[in-house]
Amino acid sequence: MSQTQEVSTRLKGDVSMIDIRGEVTAVSGAPMEQAYQGVSAAGARKILLVFSTDCYINSGGIAVLIGILAECKKKGQVVRMTGLTPHFQKVFAMVGLTRYAAIDASEDDAVARFSHIA
Amino acid sequence: MSEEQKFELHVPSTLRSEKVAMDFAATVARTLQFPADRIEDLKTAVAEACMNAIEHGNKSDASTRVGIRLTAVANGLHIAVHDHGPGAGPVPVTVPTPDIESRIAGKVEGRGWGIFLIKNLMDEVSFESNEKGSVVKMMIYLDKPQ
Repeated sequence: MSQTQEVSTRLKGDVSMIDIRGEVTAVSGAPMEQAYQGVSAAGARKILLVFSTDCYINSGGIAVLIGILAECKKKGQVVRMTGLTPHFQKVFAMVGLTRYAAIDASEDDAVARFSHIA
Repeated sequence: MSEEQKFELHVPSTLRSEKVAMDFAATVARTLQFPADRIEDLKTAVAEACMNAIEHGNKSDASTRVGIRLTAVANGLHIAVHDHGPGAGPVPVTVPTPDIESRIAGKVEGRGWGIFLIKNLMDEVSFESNEKGSVVKMMIYLDKPQ
């Protein structure tokens, strides 16, 4: 089975961005976890998950995200999310993910909100 | 939608078949002029029901199939997702709401959101199970009831 999730990382100021494209599922979640471990090992304190609008996200992928957010909470890292369609914004709020990672309308909005954190 | 129309698809119990079912359901809903937000609700619910049928009902046995039957009615769409696996479990009469705090705290496994999503995105949901397998029956209305 070919890789169906593409994940890359980049820095914008002191914010570690994780770009996520494709499937966000239990099966294809490994690249996302690896990307998180990478930025975390590099000392990330502020992490922005940037989803592409064509992401397919299912309950298995939500579980992967919960695992990442659990680790972020333990390490005191602040996480925000952007790029989600209105449907997945609703789903994430329904599940309670937004209590641990706020959703912003754009990457710039997220970075601006991060700037209020030391 | 003046008369009842039926649409049916069978997919193998393999990885990503749920996406085929999801796209099928979305195509039917678009044809019936469902609003875009309701189509997104339907896609997620159908995908989750199919994944449950593939993984838990048919135990990911590629020789088995999951059936998706859509019936257009006057004010909405009835969906039945059925499996034929010997592993069909008991009917989940009550489904506890997953507790994200416990999951974030690492006290319980992070999975288990599928039925929660189905129940929250669809307007009516019921589960039936017998020796032949299980069926998840869902109803989605053209306009979400308030």
